[in-house]
Amino acid sequence: MTVSSAILLDRNADRAPALMEVAGLAKRYGEQRALADISFAVNAGEVLGLIGPNGAGKTTLMEAVAGVLAADDGRVLWRGTPLALPQRREFMFYLPDGLRPWEDQYAARVIEFFATIYGRPEIFVADTIRSLGLAPVLRKRIAALSKGYGRRLMLALALLTPHPLLLMDEPFDGFDLRQTREIMNVLRDVASNGRALVLAIHQLNDAARVCDRFVLLAEGRVRGVGTLAQLRAQAGKPTAGLEEVFLALT
Amino acid sequence: MRSPDPAVVRRAPFHPLLAKELWEVASGRALWTMLLILCPLVGYSFFQAAALYGEASSAARDSPVLASGLAPLDGVLVPTFGALYVAVTLLFPFVAIRTLGREKETGALRLLVQLPYRVPTLIAAKMTAVFGAWLAAVIPAASALAIWLMLGGHLYLPETLDLLLGHLLYGLLVGAIALFSASISESSATAAIVALAFTIGSWVLDFALAGQPGVLEWVSRLSLTQTLRGFEQGLLSAGLVLGIVAAICGFAALAAVWLHPGVPLRAKLVRSAICVAVAAAVIAAATQIGLSVDLTEDRHNSFPAADQRALADLREPLIITVHLAPEDPRYVDLRRNILVKLERVMPRVTIRLATMGQSVVGSTSEEAYGEIEYSYAGRSDKSRSTSHREILPLIYALAGRPVPTPIPGEEYPGYPLLANASPALAWFLGGLPLLIVVAWWLSRRPPQIAPQLIKDGGQP
Repeated sequence: MTVSSAILLDRNADRAPALMEVAGLAKRYGEQRALADISFAVNAGEVLGLIGPNGAGKTTLMEAVAGVLAADDGRVLWRGTPLALPQRREFMFYLPDGLRPWEDQYAARVIEFFATIYGRPEIFVADTIRSLGLAPVLRKRIAALSKGYGRRLMLALALLTPHPLLLMDEPFDGFDLRQTREIMNVLRDVASNGRALVLAIHQLNDAARVCDRFVLLAEGRVRGVGTLAQLRAQAGKPTAGLEEVFLALT
Repeated sequence: MRSPDPAVVRRAPFHPLLAKELWEVASGRALWTMLLILCPLVGYSFFQAAALYGEASSAARDSPVLASGLAPLDGVLVPTFGALYVAVTLLFPFVAIRTLGREKETGALRLLVQLPYRVPTLIAAKMTAVFGAWLAAVIPAASALAIWLMLGGHLYLPETLDLLLGHLLYGLLVGAIALFSASISESSATAAIVALAFTIGSWVLDFALAGQPGVLEWVSRLSLTQTLRGFEQGLLSAGLVLGIVAAICGFAALAAVWLHPGVPLRAKLVRSAICVAVAAAVIAAATQIGLSVDLTEDRHNSFPAADQRALADLREPLIITVHLAPEDPRYVDLRRNILVKLERVMPRVTIRLATMGQSVVGSTSEEAYGEIEYSYAGRSDKSRSTSHREILPLIYALAGRPVPTPIPGEEYPGYPLLANASPALAWFLGGLPLLIVVAWWLSRRPPQIAPQLIKDGGQP
């Protein structure tokens, strides 16, 4: 039994099923192993950070969980029940990294598209636009948006979805310090309303500020799962920061 | 396996998805470029067709016999729509590919497949957008028809609608192929190469294999251009329509199979094989359907009305043995003038090609070559003619029936027209392109935004 499997089983032993669980997920690209026996769980209302260096398998893991990439092995469970690939989009929404979709469309039109699909009331849409400061660019084409506004727009699309679980790949990439803190506040606010967030982050300082728990990934394997305190205990460094803990465990 | 909790998102309305697809098509340059190219293409084709029709009409002015040979379908409609055919073959794939290719390139596909729509619904929306683009593409040709009417020209509605249906099916088929190409390709450029391999490859099939005997002849029938030929002749064939619809659905289904990036390759291959098998079975069944209707006003795919009625009453099997090579021009004449008409009107016709698979030289004995043997009700006769005026009396004689008397007043009068279509060039080279540019400009205007959405200045 691997470390991650043991953690998952241990958690399941004394609690109700988590909102979403990943069990034994594996993915290979030819001879190269991208993910091996990945297991972890997400609870409602928590912010879970997938932490790892570039190439650790964070994006592959998110795509496999969301069902936009075929996994070789493993299961995704929703409140303890296996979730087939076509069902994933009914329960979770994945926001890929560096996306600039429908470039020739106006920002307002894409927001309206998502809002109409998910039946979001106007007041909710207005609040989302306000919270992300998107009003100045609504009449701009997506291709003309700066990197920061492009990111905000993608976050807005994710927040317009009603899914109880959001998977976001590098949500703070492209933001300066002040903007990163603003977006963190928005995401914390979303989590406080009961939605679970899984954030793939390679900046450990950002992760430490916004996440409740962490999944440490390196070379396609889980090296640790838990709160910072639990990870410190696992690493045997009771006063270390996330950076030191990560280095110790990977 | 029990189901998880009730899903948060299962269904969504179709109209926002369709609106998005239409906006995607309209916001690309491919559509507008195709429309601008279509204007001079269609305009010049129409101008030339009207001019040639006028020349023929001036010769037929004093001759009813010559006038009866002047049909707008052959003289004006088919050449004018020929320009649309060229544009749909060469340019329309780029328009159709845009509905999916850009989404694959930008990664938007990963958002699209997570929306609360089933993959077939996504493809249906894209096919509807392709249909919308085809409707836009047909505007120049439709305006040519309007100009033809304004010039005093004649249009026979059934044959005109039949021709339009043929072009619609051809457009949708090219669109479905383009969508499939985009679905299996990582970039729009690759998708364009794949789609053009189908469309231009059809021309190669036409040029290289048409008239060849045996398997090559069968392969040449797979050419996409064959789909239009019957409609251009004014025929509405149930088998052809079913076959094209099956091909459209087949390519659309394949596009759906290959769309989702999360489906394993093995599953995609299995589903593709099923799609191909089902489509091939339907197409094979469609080739067995002989039902077709001659929608031309001059009935040039049928015998005279009195003969049609008399032949329809002949219930015994008619067996025709042809001692001609398939590539012999006389066989082509015989097929066009006699055989296909007999197959359509008589319930039981069997045609045997005595020289099947052989070349003209040495294919049969010199004496018998060129003979066509007709057997009906135990009697048989031979002829070398390819004219219905000789063959039909022969068949009536075999059946022991009298030659029917012609029905008076059924002759096609012909529609000669001496018209100057030069002013139409101003429309196709000036007016219509200008309107298209205005429409393009209007489509690029930013949307209206409800003030409620930007309350508090939209600042966080």
